[in-house]
Amino acid sequence: MFGYIRPAAPRLDESERRRFRGAYCGLCHTLARRYGFLARWLLNFDFTLLSILLSLGTATVSRCRRCIAHPCRGCEAMDASAALDAAADRSVVLAWWQIQDHIADHGFFSGIPYRLAALLYRRAYRKARGLVPDFDAAVRRHLRELDERERAHCASLDAAAEPFAALLSEIASAEPDETRGRIFAQLFYHLGRWIYLIDAADDFQTDAKRGCYNPLRYRYGVTGDTLPDEVKVSVGETLDASIRQMAGAYALLDAGEWTAVLDSIFYDSLYGIGKAVLSGVYRKQIRRIRRTKEEPI
Amino acid sequence: MTDPYKVLNIAPTASDDEVKHAYRELARKYHPDNYHDNPLADLAQEKMKEINEAYEQIQKQRRAGASYTASSAQGYGYSGASYSTASSSPLMQRVRMAINSGDITTAERLLNEAPEHDAEWNFLMGVVCSRRGWMDDAKRCLETACRMDPNNAEYRQALQMFSNSGGYRPQGYRVGGTMTYGGDTCMNLCAAWSCCILSGGHCCIC
Repeated sequence: MFGYIRPAAPRLDESERRRFRGAYCGLCHTLARRYGFLARWLLNFDFTLLSILLSLGTATVSRCRRCIAHPCRGCEAMDASAALDAAADRSVVLAWWQIQDHIADHGFFSGIPYRLAALLYRRAYRKARGLVPDFDAAVRRHLRELDERERAHCASLDAAAEPFAALLSEIASAEPDETRGRIFAQLFYHLGRWIYLIDAADDFQTDAKRGCYNPLRYRYGVTGDTLPDEVKVSVGETLDASIRQMAGAYALLDAGEWTAVLDSIFYDSLYGIGKAVLSGVYRKQIRRIRRTKEEPI
Repeated sequence: MTDPYKVLNIAPTASDDEVKHAYRELARKYHPDNYHDNPLADLAQEKMKEINEAYEQIQKQRRAGASYTASSAQGYGYSGASYSTASSSPLMQRVRMAINSGDITTAERLLNEAPEHDAEWNFLMGVVCSRRGWMDDAKRCLETACRMDPNNAEYRQALQMFSNSGGYRPQGYRVGGTMTYGGDTCMNLCAAWSCCILSGGHCCIC
């Protein structure tokens, strides 16, 4: 479910890309420091965005550090901070529950890699749960709710997306300032709604073949395994509505040095990712990036 | 008091045109239309007030000595985003009052108690959904309200506000949404080319 978000690289100059990579590497180092070497593999751009948002307003210091991905030349990585720690703890909890979701969705044999991952990350998760017990409890509660709604074949996109959106908005509780907490709650709610719906659109064909629940099927009464064009337009509209809500919340934050990176996400790339998913080219783009080992940002 | 130039994010040496441009861009950013039925509308309103005051102060400073009269009417403003409490039924009147006071939970509970779902019910449910961030259900309810009572100006205006709100995007960012984004190859190339120009024309891909 996670991993869709990325900045619009063509809009960023080299220094801005380096800044974003700095947050990515900073979170990677924080995950490794707090949860061990393997936790590095839980990293994705969505969690990087989370780190950036939580560190807004605090001075970020970067320095060159070596790691397994950059053993010789090293990379500019954001230094440890309370915001990075908070983001890392929540990332581990979210990643753990995503693994559990994969285990539930897959059969015995196809689920083996996820069960193996659960085995490897059990310790990290237990530690994170100990550090952020309220967040973990809230995630469990919302996921239970999500499961119930999916079992009931919920026909409302909003009701189906609500538990996941509410789950992400729980991240706002990490913010001590009340006003910023309100802004984050709104921003993360719509980020969660957007991720849930984009994931539903992305998985539509697979869900149709497997006979799994997909909110778009019940909302629009689609019988085949592809989304008709008019449904795609309607889904696009409701995704845009969430992007606008995120942008509205983001505009109330002082983004400081992160303005270019965050502008490129909230005013540009989210629309492009939605377009790629709905037009069916998203997977191809991701495969191409992996095949060519091209730097995604 | 906060430095008005800092509020508008410009240097004190900025020309009058630059001041006006910065003010307009920020006013577009925090425009009430972008925060219609939004739980953060009060924060945007505060920002707008700050920007209006900063602009007014700069104008005043620059025209010091001249016959300047401060006029807040020049600024963009929030003009009471509340809904009319006039309703045909006492229950719907209570819903409207709950919405205006920001108590969405009560408004929703009252709506769920309503025995029939007429046009007004759908309109108010649309407003409640919109405040909660349930954007698809909000649109559906507002559309149903307009279909049931096509001559009602309040419902039509609410649907129009909901559908036409393009949100704020800074200058230079493409207009259009997810399904209209970069659909045209020619436009894509033009955008890529303009990106190259902006970044100094050293982009090897282009």
